[in-house]
Amino acid sequence: MAFISATCPDSSFFLEYKDENGLLRKSCMAASHRVVGDTGLSDSGPSSSNHHVPYATVLHGINAPSTSFLRNQEGSTFDFGELEEAIARQVRNEEAQAPLFTGRPAATLEMFPSWPMRYHQTPRVGSSKSAGGESTDSGSQVNTTTLTSKGDQTQVEPESPISKLASSSNHHHHQHQALDQNHLQFQQQLQQDMAISDTTRATTVATGAAEASKGQSAPKPNHEKRKGAGSTSENRQLDAKTLRRLAQNREAARKSRLRKKAYVQQLESSRIKLTQLEQDLQRARAQGLLMGGCGGGFGNISSAAAIFDMEYARWLEDDHRHMSELRTGLQAHLSDNDLRIVVDGYISHYDEIFQLKGVAAKSDVFHLITGLWASQAERCFLWMGGFRPSDLIKMLTQQLDPITEQQVMGICSLQHSSQQAEEALTQGLDQLHQSLIDTIAGGPVIDGMQQMAVALGKLTNLDGFVRQADNLRQQTLHQLRRILTVRQAARCFLVIGEYYGRLRALSSLWASRPRESMMSDDNSCQTTTDLQMVHQPSQNHFSSF
Amino acid sequence: MHYQTESWGSYMVTRSSYSDPLERIERMASESAVVIFSVSTCCMCHAIKRLFCGMGVNPTVYELDEDPRGGKDLERALMRLMGTSNAVPVVFIGGKLVGTMDRVMASHINGSLVPLLKQAGALWL
Repeated sequence: MAFISATCPDSSFFLEYKDENGLLRKSCMAASHRVVGDTGLSDSGPSSSNHHVPYATVLHGINAPSTSFLRNQEGSTFDFGELEEAIARQVRNEEAQAPLFTGRPAATLEMFPSWPMRYHQTPRVGSSKSAGGESTDSGSQVNTTTLTSKGDQTQVEPESPISKLASSSNHHHHQHQALDQNHLQFQQQLQQDMAISDTTRATTVATGAAEASKGQSAPKPNHEKRKGAGSTSENRQLDAKTLRRLAQNREAARKSRLRKKAYVQQLESSRIKLTQLEQDLQRARAQGLLMGGCGGGFGNISSAAAIFDMEYARWLEDDHRHMSELRTGLQAHLSDNDLRIVVDGYISHYDEIFQLKGVAAKSDVFHLITGLWASQAERCFLWMGGFRPSDLIKMLTQQLDPITEQQVMGICSLQHSSQQAEEALTQGLDQLHQSLIDTIAGGPVIDGMQQMAVALGKLTNLDGFVRQADNLRQQTLHQLRRILTVRQAARCFLVIGEYYGRLRALSSLWASRPRESMMSDDNSCQTTTDLQMVHQPSQNHFSSF
Repeated sequence: MHYQTESWGSYMVTRSSYSDPLERIERMASESAVVIFSVSTCCMCHAIKRLFCGMGVNPTVYELDEDPRGGKDLERALMRLMGTSNAVPVVFIGGKLVGTMDRVMASHINGSLVPLLKQAGALWL
């Protein structure tokens, strides 16, 4: 009887044994998965003799049941050589490895990291559970399913390497298939030994034993077929699951791509529509079409108000241009005729805005009166939807030098008359306000709608006042032009333009003033509270009297 | 208020039949230095009245809504005369038509109103 001596060098080991014919056989097992060397183990299937293997020194890593199982099998008649070799190999692997059965059963199994980490095999639990009690019939497939069920309970990872091992052994080592099968089976059994529950382990050990016996007794092609069937069925099962998941992923990705495409198309069409609308609006404005009678109140800003804002913005740009023309004209000392053209151009520039305001007042007078189109500083000192002419003249009288006596008189009377006109208009507006109060606030609500209709009628007079105020402004500018010489008028209008430009700049600076000023406001708040606290005791002091 | 309102009643007694509204307007306008055709509830009319009073003028104001019989005709006639939708206020100075608030304002700013008033004898300065 031949015996096997097992030696265990660093990471590789080899088994020497003599077969029935006395040939020394060697099997090498390195870290890479070379099942056997070339030492003639190819047909060492059922034909090889029994080998008695002293396992006392090497089987300490294997749990008791399997050890007892193996020991029990020593005397059996079936060929156990490859099985023993596989066991020895496995043992070597486990000895080389410090943690035993902690989820990484063999060094061989770690060679296949390509399998996904979180690979659950829940569908197979049911099938394996159903097959758990079976004894022999389902062959290696049963083993596989029970194995995978074990894998579910312990760790997901080990199963895949085993199947990979199975498949690779399938592909690469056709000549050593029996040995591979045994190896697989033993690895499966060791996996089972790893399992948590004892009962299942016993069952699977029994099935494994039965399977091993069955596998050994059957002819080789059957083994191959069964093992191949088992492995491929396992692969097919895995592949089916994977394939289904991959298909689902592909489908989801395709759907999201389609949705993204649809959204992008929608955005593009909206953008095109927007540019077309802008072009239409530009064209309509150029043709002078204004939506006069559409009535205010469309949302926050009416269309008339929006149009007026746009036109005012354009007017401001024109104003800037006119200003630079005036400036260069004065500095270049143009002739009076040329300068007159520039000055008259500036007058008509102002006429234009008054005309626009008149049109806007018909549809949205509140927008003009509340001054949302103007900058904040302008809005603060707004009078009837624009500048106060007497203020303008007051500002100008300081800037205009030299000026003749007659011109001084003219300017003074202009200021006086504009003040009177402003006063008259203000009083007229007050009268309107009072009558509105009387209409909507006074008395019992006998006829609500009638009251509202009357009030609406009164409100329609508002645009008349704004129109008259703009008329006053326009007349003032025209009168200035008449009083002053061309050069004086140019200077005057430059001063006016610069004044309002600075007022607008002041507004924007105010809007964007730095945070530190806010902190100083907090300090001032603190001081006011201090004052209040100081004040209160004095109040109490007085209350005692 | 420093202007006097004529009562319509005296006019109705002396006239046997209604004249052409325009003739009436002309007649009424020529009877005073400054004549304003107004409506009592109109705020712009109030403004124009305040303007003249502020200048020290004592205008004659006819409130068309207070004339039960011929007020509407006068209003319509004034509308046709001025060519605007608002009949009032309309100002006559020295029997001559000056116009509505627009014209009055413009003439005041360009300095033509005061000489006109002085010429009509409404202002003494």
